[in-house]
Amino acid sequence: MKLRKVLVALLISSISITGFSFCGFYVAKADAKLFNKTSQVILVRDGDKTTVTMSNDFSGEVKDFAMVVPVPSVLKREDIRVVPGSLFTKLDAYSGPRLVEYYDQNPCYNYNDMIIETASSDRIPRMNKSTSVDNSNRKDYGVTIEAQYSVEEYDILILSAKESTGLKEWLIDNEYQIPVSAEEVLEPYIKNDMKFFVVKVNVEKLDEISGMGNVNKYIDDPGLKKVKNLRPLQITYTSPKFMLPIRLGMANANGDQDMIVYAFTREGRVECTNYRTTKIPTDKNVPLFVREKFGKFYVDLFEKAHMREDKEAIFLEYAWNIAPTFPGVKCDPCVGPPPIYSDFQQAGVDWAINQNNQAASDVFFTRLHVRYSRDTHPQDLLFHVTPNKEHFQARYILTNPATGDLSCDDGQKYCANLVKNRANELETLKDLTSWNTSQYADYVKEYYDKIEDKKILYEIDENNKKNFVIPVLPDETIKPNFGLKIIVLSSILALMLIVAMIRSARTYFFWFNRMPV
Amino acid sequence: MSQVATTDSSIIGSIVEGFKKVTQDARHFQIAYLSLFLGYGIMKLNWEILPIEIFIILSTSVLTQFIWLKITGGKMSGLKSALITGLGICLILHSDSILTLSVAAVISISSKFLIKIKNKHLFNPNNFGIIISILIFQDAWISPGQWGSDAMFLFGISILGGFILFKVNRLETGLVFLGTLFALEYLRTVAYQGWEMDVLMHKFSSGTLLLFSFFMITDPMTTPNSRRSRIIWSIVLAGLTFFLSNWIQLYTAPIWVLFFMAPLTVLLDKIYPAKKFEWIKEKESPNNQISINN
Repeated sequence: MKLRKVLVALLISSISITGFSFCGFYVAKADAKLFNKTSQVILVRDGDKTTVTMSNDFSGEVKDFAMVVPVPSVLKREDIRVVPGSLFTKLDAYSGPRLVEYYDQNPCYNYNDMIIETASSDRIPRMNKSTSVDNSNRKDYGVTIEAQYSVEEYDILILSAKESTGLKEWLIDNEYQIPVSAEEVLEPYIKNDMKFFVVKVNVEKLDEISGMGNVNKYIDDPGLKKVKNLRPLQITYTSPKFMLPIRLGMANANGDQDMIVYAFTREGRVECTNYRTTKIPTDKNVPLFVREKFGKFYVDLFEKAHMREDKEAIFLEYAWNIAPTFPGVKCDPCVGPPPIYSDFQQAGVDWAINQNNQAASDVFFTRLHVRYSRDTHPQDLLFHVTPNKEHFQARYILTNPATGDLSCDDGQKYCANLVKNRANELETLKDLTSWNTSQYADYVKEYYDKIEDKKILYEIDENNKKNFVIPVLPDETIKPNFGLKIIVLSSILALMLIVAMIRSARTYFFWFNRMPV
Repeated sequence: MSQVATTDSSIIGSIVEGFKKVTQDARHFQIAYLSLFLGYGIMKLNWEILPIEIFIILSTSVLTQFIWLKITGGKMSGLKSALITGLGICLILHSDSILTLSVAAVISISSKFLIKIKNKHLFNPNNFGIIISILIFQDAWISPGQWGSDAMFLFGISILGGFILFKVNRLETGLVFLGTLFALEYLRTVAYQGWEMDVLMHKFSSGTLLLFSFFMITDPMTTPNSRRSRIIWSIVLAGLTFFLSNWIQLYTAPIWVLFFMAPLTVLLDKIYPAKKFEWIKEKESPNNQISINN
């Protein structure tokens, strides 16, 4: 795997001609907010213990808010927490796809003048779907309230049900608006012995916590009741099931939905077991103007990749060991500050610091992007933790051309290369996003016009020719259990030797016994 | 004129003869199909195995087999089996470390020569190597989702796999396994839990499951010898797979079950004795009994 990284590094340095060392400047990021109907989930898996944090992007009147989540067991009070919404913003910013800039030096002069520019991505507002709630009486629906908690601004019920019709009626009679098609989805969860985690907002409590109780007495603005920032809820349970029930969410939505999963484990990457997990295209050189429309660029890139993989695959966008004590870089470039102890603690990564206040060296962060719909994803998402520790990030490279006079010989050669590279960048862009790149001819022409003798374009640059690279295998001695592997290998060799000796000894004795005396 | 005709017919004759020889041994088909799947995985499914890694795994397998054959005096046609085992490792096992994959290949091949009962190896070599590597090295894994559920590809696996099974006379093993598993899953998922049929179909449109069914659990060398035993054996295998994947949430269940089922094969061979499988039917002298199957 290391080999690939080396090759990539070589590729980058050859393309950016006189690019600086393997570090760039972050200019823009594509965050989860770009996609419509996006939900975000943090999954922390340690053995059989799972902590799930669900983001709440609900906007509307709080009394209309309701959430029904199937869970494998009856949760205790201490298994339910409310965490700050900023946690998602931090993780999203840190792990999102990124744009990196390199600056070419002018071959006619010998100076390096770097300008760091920043640009923001154009954002597409997110849309919300809502279900509504209210609490009231109960009769016999075959529904048992296993537990009832009040956690900060939320009222929580853990229900178990005997059959879906009863559960559906119970929810409707208690004024939880359940979509018509929900019943058929509830049934399998009931039969699978799942419990239902039912949430609504306690308006008085919310007013009290947010300090808005008194403000509402004096200001009568209906817009004020439309709350946007409900805090995320977090639950912890112990079960061999490591899954996300996406089917219930499909009951009230048509078309594709996006979900970003931020997963934390000790061992390594998380991947899906019943759908294919693949990497989003990365390390691509794209034209400079992508900086201004990076948001749209990534949305279209994702769309195209999703289509290319038959709308079925799940995309890896980031994978890294981000433990504070892990040596080495955690991203290149970093799009946001890396998560710190308090973030880990909030997310439920309880092994990040041990009892002696020592930081762990193994917190592996995986970001997965799932786009699902009823037709392509009939099964809930099942996950497993793999020992795959290979790092990955979605990153796209911009190359800023050299500035100044380029009329010297080297400068002309540089222009010729730049023209070719820019044409390639446009083709890459077309390939990644299906944008019509013919309108960007000026991007190539800009440096084409600077070439006085066009013949040099046909010159073959000996330095630029792809050399045959002898594959170098990564250093195995630093991999886990190196000693054990060697021991196993040598024991098998020893066994070979023993078997060979026994056989030859047998032949010898056989021959010896038959010798005429 | 007639001279030319004879030459022609002798050339055609030798081609036909050669073709017969090639098609006689089902292992040639296995090698072709597994290479095809590996190519598909790399080209279409973006698998990340480097050509150099494939080369190392395959050559380690073949070299190990070669040494063992030299030591035990087996026939060199056994090298084909090594190639199949090596391809199996490339297709199923993943690791950051090429050493792990190579050692897995060495373990797989060596298990055939070291763990034998009545001159029949106990474990499916691939299965043994993969399980042992996952258990002891801690840096190898199986990705059950890696094949996706592209209908054409799955259909292809089934047809090609079915053909091989037919050729090695193990079609019933694969079909009984898949049939039993399908029936059990149908009863649970659709009839009891009330999921729609496409949920069940999605569970079964898994390349990993089909590959297990058609290329691993049906390995003629490690399945019981008599047909009756194989049917019992497949039903037990399907039952355990069903249990492990639904209650223990072990999504690579068949491969684990197969590993622990090895003693059952021995038991069934005792209860229902039958002639052991041979890759190439021996026509020559009956005393030439040394394992051609290695």
